[in-house]
Amino acid sequence: MHSFFTRVNNVSALLSSCTMALLAAITIASLLQEAIYPPQIQGEISMKPVKVFHAKAPRQRRRQEMGFLNFNMTADLTPLFTWNTKQLFLSLEAEYENAQGVNNTIVLWDRIVRRPEDARVNVIGAKNKYAFKEIGGQGFGKGAISGASYALKFNLMPYVGMLRYGEAARISDVPFDVREEL
Amino acid sequence: MFTEELKAFRRLGFRHVLLQVLNFASVIASGLMIWKGLGLLTNTESPIVVVLSGSMEPAFYRGDLLFLTNPPLERYHTGDITVYKIPGADIPIVHRVMETHDVSSPIKISGLDLKVPGEQLILTKGDNNHIDDIELYQGLDWLERKHIVGKVRGFLPYVGYVTIAMNDFPQLKYALLGVLGLLALIQRE
Repeated sequence: MHSFFTRVNNVSALLSSCTMALLAAITIASLLQEAIYPPQIQGEISMKPVKVFHAKAPRQRRRQEMGFLNFNMTADLTPLFTWNTKQLFLSLEAEYENAQGVNNTIVLWDRIVRRPEDARVNVIGAKNKYAFKEIGGQGFGKGAISGASYALKFNLMPYVGMLRYGEAARISDVPFDVREEL
Repeated sequence: MFTEELKAFRRLGFRHVLLQVLNFASVIASGLMIWKGLGLLTNTESPIVVVLSGSMEPAFYRGDLLFLTNPPLERYHTGDITVYKIPGADIPIVHRVMETHDVSSPIKISGLDLKVPGEQLILTKGDNNHIDDIELYQGLDWLERKHIVGKVRGFLPYVGYVTIAMNDFPQLKYALLGVLGLLALIQRE
């Protein structure tokens, strides 16, 4: 009843139950805080018409039509940083439907924000980090796609708990400006 | 050290030993039932996975535990963190979805079977990698729903490091199993 093994057994059982209860409490507290005090965030995107050239993307075999962005973006995401926020993952995504009826969503720019001081986003004249290629055959030009929407989305990663997604800013119907060969 | 327990066993008889073995087996069986039941509930073959590589840092480090679900009718969005397995490679990879292409009318894309509405083509990338995962796809151009094990919903830090330690040092795994088995068999409660 008081042997070493029983003592170790009881202590470790108590330790693991308390730890699990604590983690569950943290998760529930975070969810309640987010439900009762929803963070108010605002953001704005402005973008010039997307230039489309024939170019060769890195690690691709042939040249194809690619889109090149030039955008300004401001957003204030500091309300999202709570005691349980580990980091924010921001991404600028293009959404459009091509001539074959395929709905595409493509991440063109992303940023990881680890401190609340960095949560104010202010980019001017930024370019897309990742290649903007069209999956269908007709590409961007010849009126195939009239325009695309661009949204700034965030993913909040907590220290303990559930991942949360949201949208901070959006701009719709940005046209494509198809140019000749590069 | 065990003389006291052995004497007690001889006194209680063979039936008692059988009862101990049965208790042990029912503990194992109920553990397995809980695991498989959780898999059914979340519609994925492994609802809890351990992060094995550093390609999602600083979000997930090696040894973090991830909880997955795989809702059958819900489409995957960009920004979701998915765990997928390439046929031919056994390691599950935890990366974020970079591109989704949703088919709304039947379309033929080179290299793949005919795509019907409801199907998605997905491209992923790890946060800590500079380039997307094309080289990991072993010849595929896109991931499809069938390759994806699940989507990450929540996580616990550091808890999974035990599994990584056991994979790196197999002797540790056998030692732990041996000790647990011994303890379960000789416990009288």
